[in-house]
Amino acid sequence: MKKLGRLTEYVITVLIILSINFFLPRMMPGDPFLFLSGDQGEQISAYSDEQIRQYKACYGLDQPIFRSYLSYLADLFRGRLGQSLYFNESVGHIVLRRLPWTVFLVCGAILFSTVLGTALGSLSAFYRNRLLDNVLYGFMMFFSEIPAFLIGLFFLFVFAASLGLFPLSGALTSFSPDRSVVQVLKDIIHHAVLPVAALSLTRLGGMYLLVRNIMISIIPKAYMRTARAKGLSRYRIFIRHGLRNALLPLTTRIFMSLGTLVGGAVLVENVFAYPGLGLMISQAVMVHDYPLIQGIFLVITLLVLSANLMSEVLYRVLDPRVKDGEG
Amino acid sequence: MLELNDLSIVYPENHGPLTAVDHVSLRLERGGRLGIIGESGCGKSSLALSLMGLNRKARTHGTIVYQGVQLNGQSDKAFKAVRWKKIAMVFQNGSEVLNPVLNVFEQLDEVLKTHRRFSTKQRRELVLTWLERVGLDRNWAFEFPHRLSGGMRQRALLAMALCCEPELLILDEPTSSLDARSRSELMGLIDSIQADQGYSLILISHQLSVIEAMTTDLLTLYAGQMMEYGPTHTLLHHPMHPYTRGLINASPDYQIYKELWGMPGGNHETPASNGCPFAPRCVQKGPRCKNSRPQVQIITDGRSLACNKGGIEILLKGEHLHKSFALKKGTVQALCDVNVELKSGEILAVLGKTGSGKSTLAHVLSGLYPSDQGRLTFWEPGLDSLSATRKRDGLQIVFQDPYSSTSHRMTVLDTVKEPLDILGWGTSESRRDAALSALAQVELPNKPEFLEKHGHALSGGQRQRLSLARALTMKPRILIADEITSMLDPSSRANLLRTLMGLQNAQGFSMIFITHDLFLARKVADRVMVMDRGRCIEQGSSVRVFQNPFHPRTRELVDTMLGNVKNEPMLGMKQNVYNLLKPREAETFFQVNHNKEQRRTP
Ligand SMILES: Nc1ncnc2c1ncn2[C@@H]1O[C@H](COP(=O)(O)OP(=O)(O)OP(=O)(O)O)[C@@H](O)[C@H]1O
Ligand code: SF4
Ligand SMILES: [Mg+2]
Repeated sequence: MKKLGRLTEYVITVLIILSINFFLPRMMPGDPFLFLSGDQGEQISAYSDEQIRQYKACYGLDQPIFRSYLSYLADLFRGRLGQSLYFNESVGHIVLRRLPWTVFLVCGAILFSTVLGTALGSLSAFYRNRLLDNVLYGFMMFFSEIPAFLIGLFFLFVFAASLGLFPLSGALTSFSPDRSVVQVLKDIIHHAVLPVAALSLTRLGGMYLLVRNIMISIIPKAYMRTARAKGLSRYRIFIRHGLRNALLPLTTRIFMSLGTLVGGAVLVENVFAYPGLGLMISQAVMVHDYPLIQGIFLVITLLVLSANLMSEVLYRVLDPRVKDGEG
Repeated sequence: MLELNDLSIVYPENHGPLTAVDHVSLRLERGGRLGIIGESGCGKSSLALSLMGLNRKARTHGTIVYQGVQLNGQSDKAFKAVRWKKIAMVFQNGSEVLNPVLNVFEQLDEVLKTHRRFSTKQRRELVLTWLERVGLDRNWAFEFPHRLSGGMRQRALLAMALCCEPELLILDEPTSSLDARSRSELMGLIDSIQADQGYSLILISHQLSVIEAMTTDLLTLYAGQMMEYGPTHTLLHHPMHPYTRGLINASPDYQIYKELWGMPGGNHETPASNGCPFAPRCVQKGPRCKNSRPQVQIITDGRSLACNKGGIEILLKGEHLHKSFALKKGTVQALCDVNVELKSGEILAVLGKTGSGKSTLAHVLSGLYPSDQGRLTFWEPGLDSLSATRKRDGLQIVFQDPYSSTSHRMTVLDTVKEPLDILGWGTSESRRDAALSALAQVELPNKPEFLEKHGHALSGGQRQRLSLARALTMKPRILIADEITSMLDPSSRANLLRTLMGLQNAQGFSMIFITHDLFLARKVADRVMVMDRGRCIEQGSSVRVFQNPFHPRTRELVDTMLGNVKNEPMLGMKQNVYNLLKPREAETFFQVNHNKEQRRTP
């Protein structure tokens, strides 16, 4: 019963997002076609009447709004996000090409910030109020206040520009077909180090705090005392009893924080000229490519939403008590 | 094997340190079985946890020595060496004692994995065998703890503690969520495995019957301090500390007949740090108790006690009391070599057929009749019965017949404060206040109309309460109640008794409760004394006397009055006596009555 309820909630949310995505451009002042090639202020239409009619037909603007809404939905379900005006290519294709880089960046950042945050957070919790904890805590608080792009710029200057350890931009050195897979992978990682590090660092503070709090609440639990009483190794107590219990709140929180992470990724991609969706967005904004902007936003929101859904599913899988609670 | 020297455990709380265990010293030999009892929060679990070094936040003072090695020290190392390998524990049940996200099997398996060298398959078999041994079906092994009932969790915890064959097993309320049958099953199991493995045992329980069955030595803790220590059986049947007695009196498996009364006051009304912690609730506290902390002293072999007054005081002691009355022809021996003892806070029921000398005893004890022979001593050296009745905090007697003990012509108020008036105690204001509060205590109205009433205008029940109030104004240390309920209807009787018992429990006075009603005695008494023809034929704890009377005549009395009535509950008590007495006994019954009539005449 309850599960169904949650699912409907998600479906409704998706519908709302789709609708906003549909209606938003229509509510903007002026005619989108005037903006297609016009800079701010000067509303010069670069299109002939014929072209405009064609576009209007394409976007269903010549039809009653309800019908065009339906055809928009139908298009979406067929995976058609529309046509980019600037690149003159289907938005779906562009998104698909760019998406993997962003996902790669975000996943790498999640991985690093989680591993490092968990390690440091647990350490802090176990040595609570001692020197190590105090130092770590102060350090993390300091870092979590710095915005992602600042860290990115700093990295760029120090490690790429000054020291020349890493490439300045891009995700791959230009195509050379004769490289082996290992070489390509190496190249990809080499490019990804700085953006991932910058993105991870912005997440690290939050993760650290989260883990520290969770662990602090877990350590005094009776089962932790039982585990200590049983003479288990430190490692076992920490991993099997502590972390295993921390996993629950941790995973859900990680998934829930995906939204901010994607936001961070947009900034970082721009700093490092990393060819993901984030970079694409700023390009699209620069050239007023509305269909493209819409398409990217839609994809990102849907991704974040499905991450949320996944966190709930995971919670059920991880916590044996939840299953029974629903009866 | 295990030795605690001056062990204290202090939790650093925000509002100041909390001493959960306070200077406890004890020894436990190999194979020994120690029980620990005490009210909730007295530090039993803290003590148990400290033996394994599991009080994370707490500071420990003193030493814990196990097999010659001090466990508590700078590091955790010594504790680590014994945890579960040598000392295992069944934790006090709680929902999160077992890890919620690991199934039962995993949680048992990991101790074997850590401490024993077995193959995975062997471990699996062993875990399942142990679970079955403690009465948990194999099928439950792979369930998460939240699916198990409280009793099942306790079984799983027990299996977990036993599977590594510890040398010392600590059980913290291992049976609290089990029904009676599972409880005795499990205890039997712990017992038989002990015979097998020979582990020592520390058992914490609120169930005294479990404690008595399972342990040989017993420690009572109050506010973290050791109050009494000694062999379990002796301690439970002859407690010397008022606190131990209070625990027993509040325990349904010991007070099977008497109404249950908990110790008044509670949850550690911040005991004075330098006095006896129990003083605020102690029925016999003296001026010293507030400021001097009693030291644990060895009383007899293997028994020690912490009380400034050397344990429960004896308030009254009559030795070899004789009393005879001259008749027109010959004499009647109303008391013949009677020994009687009354402890502080105790209710002694004096039982016996009519004319067996109960009232004479009461009169002798309160100095109304001098005894012919024998010695009567009170709590203070040099105090005699007459002076004891003429002081506050002394001895008061309430009689059977309220019509004769309270005057017809005096008003209620005058009757109640008369004893104080005679003493000239305080101002007339304070006497009046004392009288009013005594009236309130016995649940009589203290409206002016009632206070001005004369004795003859009161009902029997009211008069009985009035005579009680009169005695209570003197704040007696001993109250002798001679058949005070015999003239009342069952309902008023029940009410009066409840009032009286409540007052006794709250104020802690000792009471001699004289009655021929065995049912009442059973509900009221801690100890029972049975009189027959002027002699005391039996004395003992109420439970013992009613369950297992030694003297044939006591047995007869108990059987006739209690045993058979069970089958015919509709019959009134008196009728039963008539129905059930054999003809010859009926004769003596009347004879005795007759004698009593005669005795009254002179
Ligand atoms: N971890 C802790 N931190 C602070 N105070 C504690 C802690 N554990 C126990 N206490 C306090 O120590 C005192 C003794 O507690 P303990 O658990 O030992 O009582 P107990 O005798 O086992 O009671 P019960 O019969 O209810 O189990 C109590 O006042 C309790 O509040
Ligand atoms: S008599 Fe004093 S020392 Fe003994 S238990 Fe009572 S208050 Fe404590
Ligand atoms: Mg406890």
